[in-house]
Amino acid sequence: MRKRTFKRCLTGFWWFTLVFLYLPLAVVVLFSFNASNSAATFTGISLRWYGRLMGNEEILSAFANSMILAITSSVIALGIGCRIGYGMYRHRHRKLGWLIVLIYLPIVLPDIVFGISEMAFFVQIHRLTGLLQPGLGTMIIAHVTFQIPFVALIVYSRFVGLDPTLFEAAKDLYATPIKRVVHFMLPTIKPALISAFFLSFTLSVDDFVISFFTAGPESATLPIYIWGAIKKGVSPEINAIATLMIGAVAIAAVISLVFSRRRQA
Amino acid sequence: MAYTGVTPSARSRGMVREARHLLLTVAPGATWIVIFLVLPSAYLMGVAFMTNGPYGLPEMPLSLESFRRLAGFGFLGWSPGNLYTLLRSLWQTLVSTGLVVIVAYPIAYYISTCRARWRPIMLLLVVVPSWTNQVIRTFGWMNLLAPGTPLSNLAEGLGFIAPNMGLYPSNFAVTLGLVYNFLPFMVLPLYAAFEKLDTAQVEAAQDLFASPVRAFWHAVFPQTLPGLLAGIVLVAIPAFGMYVIPELLGGGKGMMLGNLVANQFAGGANWPLGAAGAILMLIATFIGLFAMRRIGKRLGGGEEVVI
Repeated sequence: MRKRTFKRCLTGFWWFTLVFLYLPLAVVVLFSFNASNSAATFTGISLRWYGRLMGNEEILSAFANSMILAITSSVIALGIGCRIGYGMYRHRHRKLGWLIVLIYLPIVLPDIVFGISEMAFFVQIHRLTGLLQPGLGTMIIAHVTFQIPFVALIVYSRFVGLDPTLFEAAKDLYATPIKRVVHFMLPTIKPALISAFFLSFTLSVDDFVISFFTAGPESATLPIYIWGAIKKGVSPEINAIATLMIGAVAIAAVISLVFSRRRQA
Repeated sequence: MAYTGVTPSARSRGMVREARHLLLTVAPGATWIVIFLVLPSAYLMGVAFMTNGPYGLPEMPLSLESFRRLAGFGFLGWSPGNLYTLLRSLWQTLVSTGLVVIVAYPIAYYISTCRARWRPIMLLLVVVPSWTNQVIRTFGWMNLLAPGTPLSNLAEGLGFIAPNMGLYPSNFAVTLGLVYNFLPFMVLPLYAAFEKLDTAQVEAAQDLFASPVRAFWHAVFPQTLPGLLAGIVLVAIPAFGMYVIPELLGGGKGMMLGNLVANQFAGGANWPLGAAGAILMLIATFIGLFAMRRIGKRLGGGEEVVI
């Protein structure tokens, strides 16, 4: 009897927590369809804020910047990170403490320290040499820096999960190292590379603090644009653009669910 | 040991080749991180010991001026502003981490007791909100807590806040935002601990007529401790350096260390002071990581605790 009430309390708490987790997002979605520009009362359904988005040059360029930044940085991080992942695996019996420290540094460093030290560094380099002007370039550098560790760790754990004799077999099968990479290595770690790419992409799109401090005047991404709009005074257009971004996340969630189901089956 | 039975020179040639391989695979990434993160952080630390120039940029000579400023000593004598910010950061970190534990512990347990096929979906439901951008999530709370909203009216009716004030900006809103933001970080490691829970221990405790509380405390809690500690570090370290949430939900009186640091750079106000604040944040981070490693080792199975 007591056990059942306990379980019922837990179920209630679970649903309460779900409401807590989704309420802020639901409010944003709801008010994006609000006919009036009030942030407190809902007067009727309309799509006018979405219509305004389409004509807003700033938002479109922020979207383009977000995409360029995410794709470019993920590709670079994939190229650099998977080499480290392989190096870590192949030489895992050596003492690689310094490398582990180096790889974990971008992960454990607080965002704000990360962003500010890069900004201060870039500004001084720019003053001295004229290179590294704040803009998409510096943002790509910063994003690659925090993406490399994740790529390296994902690829490393994929290699660790493989049967070590596979490498011997590949050595016997393919004569040159290049052939080994193309016909054995890349195909076997393909799942790891794909998930590493998507994780890097998500981290990049999701990042605000580090982008904010390394951005230039022309290189605002979507989160930076939204931040600016909030600071200037809330406009209902933010609800519309935020709803689109929430929708993208919802689609990603469904895809990941389908994939995990398929893996289970 | 593929090289046993080969001449020493061949073996050393093999070692050279291995070393070159290590260099070729690891060097590009290691160099990248050194140039674009280690050097900038080192520079920032150096800045903390320099003097503030007329345009907010660091200048020689070296001094401890910025640390004095951080402790509140300014041109006009001592003022408690910065100290309040530091204490507020600590307080917010402690309170929000504690609240996250209180919410996440039953949730993680509940998920682990549900049917196996539902668990991935339930975990996904907990995690998905954190996939949306932090700025958007915080903006959602601004909408919910603004003056005139149902929640604000309710708080007003109960007498918690003055009329027409709204629940934000306030320290309460910051705490709420932090709890909201970090909840998944605690649920995931705790769930991992609950999933591996050895129920034989619980049954043994029950067979020995332990009360439910004692059974929990002696048979369940110790087993979830590694997950709990991992969660605490995952929550407390980023919470201490949080920038977005206090900036949007806190207002002037809700400022935390992250805002203090950022303000010194954004307005070009005082780089050395900001750098000194950043050093403080780094120290807190490394203390947290070190403490976790120590405790993790003492509990055994320290590997899984380290992130």
